Amino acid sequence: MTEQYHPLIKQLLDGELALAELPPGLRAEGERALQLLAAVDRTPVVLPAAVDQRVMAQVRRRSSSPVGRAWRWLVRARDLDIRVRVRPWVVGLAAAAVLALAVVWPGSEVATSHAPVYVRFIFYAPSAHSVTIAGSFNQWDPGAAPLVPTATPGIWTTTLALPLGQHQYAFLVDGERWVVDPTAPSVDDGFGQHNSVVAVTSQDGGGRAL
Amino acid sequence: MSSGEGPSDGEVVRRVLAGNVEQYAVLVRRYRDRYARYAARMLGSQDAAEDAVQDALVRAYDQLARCREPEKFAGWFFLILRNRCFAERRRRNREARPLGARDEAIAGSERSDGPVERADDRRTLERALERLTAEQRDVFVLKHVEELSYEEIAALTGASVPSLKMRMHRAYDRLRAELKELV
Repeated sequence: MTEQYHPLIKQLLDGELALAELPPGLRAEGERALQLLAAVDRTPVVLPAAVDQRVMAQVRRRSSSPVGRAWRWLVRARDLDIRVRVRPWVVGLAAAAVLALAVVWPGSEVATSHAPVYVRFIFYAPSAHSVTIAGSFNQWDPGAAPLVPTATPGIWTTTLALPLGQHQYAFLVDGERWVVDPTAPSVDDGFGQHNSVVAVTSQDGGGRAL
Repeated sequence: MSSGEGPSDGEVVRRVLAGNVEQYAVLVRRYRDRYARYAARMLGSQDAAEDAVQDALVRAYDQLARCREPEKFAGWFFLILRNRCFAERRRRNREARPLGARDEAIAGSERSDGPVERADDRRTLERALERLTAEQRDVFVLKHVEELSYEEIAALTGASVPSLKMRMHRAYDRLRAELKELV
């Protein structure tokens, strides 16, 4: 018995194949795998109506608080031109760095809010087998942006086209361990974790690490 | 949302942003339960799901002005709830402890030499699911609990179908290994 399911059994679990379509030698394992899925609990979950009252109580408190009103004004969607100072970054240290490269489309002296900026992310992880980056720019999809190892051992990198604005992100090491960028600023995500922040602006034709 | 009854989500969002805070209760009632099962299966209990849904609804209110497509409030709210579930699972992973002696004893009591009852299967599966990464569990729950297709999951989460499949297939392999260990 191998450590992984045969690809045909994965197709069976995905509903793309029927048990009868499997080679006879795989049917017993296919049957066991289907038995696993049959145990999935699909019972609907109904929350108590008290949730409504608790949510609305908090909403009312926030709506009457000057801080809450100011916060909602601040987060209202609008186009912003963010000017930030370039933070010197360090290469070759046992730390991650984010580097924003100059990038604007040709001829766009005054970039529009839709002009993407290419941002290079660098991460130092000498013992990692895989590194990906997920953030607000890719819906936190950890599979969307893998970093590739460079010729320098332990250094991983990728370049992403990001829209102007401020983005939160984190690195995912070996598909399991989330790591913030120690050389970039971080913000509380509101749920007890921190995310790194990069600000991308078209000022003088380059992206900027906040 | 094209709700058969009452104002559309977009209309409600606009009313709330215009200052009619009480209208937010319409969205709360509409979405309190819609993704509760997702949250419960992601977090392993109804209590945790209740906290997550409540937090996500309050957070959605705080961020409502950033909802660029108010008619798509449902999908936007789901992403907030999903992030909340991911954050909770990551927090638990950071505080994770290996199975203790008591846990092993419970696991042992579930073993059966005869035909395995559905309830036992369910508990064993739940224990195996607990060991998936948040991302693997997310795609497993959306596909096999919510019974969405890869294309529907992609539309909901913004992830690509190949990336979702890769995550799901890794989850199958991990479940297989965990079940071998548990049963």
